[in-house]
Amino acid sequence: MATRREIGYGLASGELWTDRQGQFMDIGESKEGAVFVLEPKGRLDSANARSFEERVLAAVEQGETALLIDFGGLDYISSAGLRVLLMGAKRLQQSGGTIALCTLSPSIREVFEISGFLTIFTVHDDRATALAAMG
Amino acid sequence: MLSFAEEIMLLLLDDRDGSFLPIPEWSMQCALAGSVLMDLALADRIDTDIDSLMLVDKKPTGDSLLDPTLERIAASSEVRGARYWVENTASYADEIREGALARLVQAGILNREEDRFLWVFRSRRYPTIDGTAEREVKLRIMGVLLSDEIPDPRDIVIICLCDSCGIFNEMLSSRELDRARGRIDQVRKLDLIGQAVAKSVWEIQASLAMAAHPVY
Repeated sequence: MATRREIGYGLASGELWTDRQGQFMDIGESKEGAVFVLEPKGRLDSANARSFEERVLAAVEQGETALLIDFGGLDYISSAGLRVLLMGAKRLQQSGGTIALCTLSPSIREVFEISGFLTIFTVHDDRATALAAMG
Repeated sequence: MLSFAEEIMLLLLDDRDGSFLPIPEWSMQCALAGSVLMDLALADRIDTDIDSLMLVDKKPTGDSLLDPTLERIAASSEVRGARYWVENTASYADEIREGALARLVQAGILNREEDRFLWVFRSRRYPTIDGTAEREVKLRIMGVLLSDEIPDPRDIVIICLCDSCGIFNEMLSSRELDRARGRIDQVRKLDLIGQAVAKSVWEIQASLAMAAHPVY
């Protein structure tokens, strides 16, 4: 049974992650069996990349060893977003964990393809496929 | 921590006599331009995507190697791609190079020596006094090239820059370079400014090749 904590704009949603410029990053979070799932929404760029990085690093420090990032709700990613994704993945790899990505929209997939990130990350078409592979 | 421009200058000097390695001028200019843009990106002043380079924060970094470029980007009335800014910044490469070398001399890493060739032509050499920083950069690079671990963003940048200006041809034997080529190709793609630097270098090389061997 998945537990879910929405992180974002709504005060009732629990926790707000803000960057130094005060912009919000809406990040869904859930645990699916042994897999910790993060679901960033909207844009991942210099305005909120640090928020996302903090969230990924917090998951690593919590002892999560299987991290799935579901990009289904992501509309845009810049170099700053790619960089923090890389840093998070590196930290997880150093602690013996694994990371995978899923549900890349065509525009996000294009960025990953051009930037060579598809050669670094394991990417699944959707969350169910990813969870089956990681479980 | 050294800036990327300083690291690139260390790698561009011949360890034996402090002279510059025989790197094409345009490649060196683009690599220095890329090094400034990449430092600005890591300082959260600019951001890029596959189409554009965007100003994030025009607040000066306080670094004299970076702030003139940041000022030009901030003063621009339109958003342009990373490649435009690589080529624009490359026209200021002499200042960046002199600034980086002056800092390395001031830090006690390099010495500056003036020579005269045929009693007339001046040449400048920068023999290494303290090789620690250069060794560390090379170790970082080799650490990435010889492993399949996820590279650190700073290591990606320096590998992009080295590959763009042909430093690997000098740093590695041809056999080592053959073995590392796949990994270099993988890593150098991971930074979009690095890709813009490589495209600028490649285009000018292609133009020069066409000029030397025109197709009639």
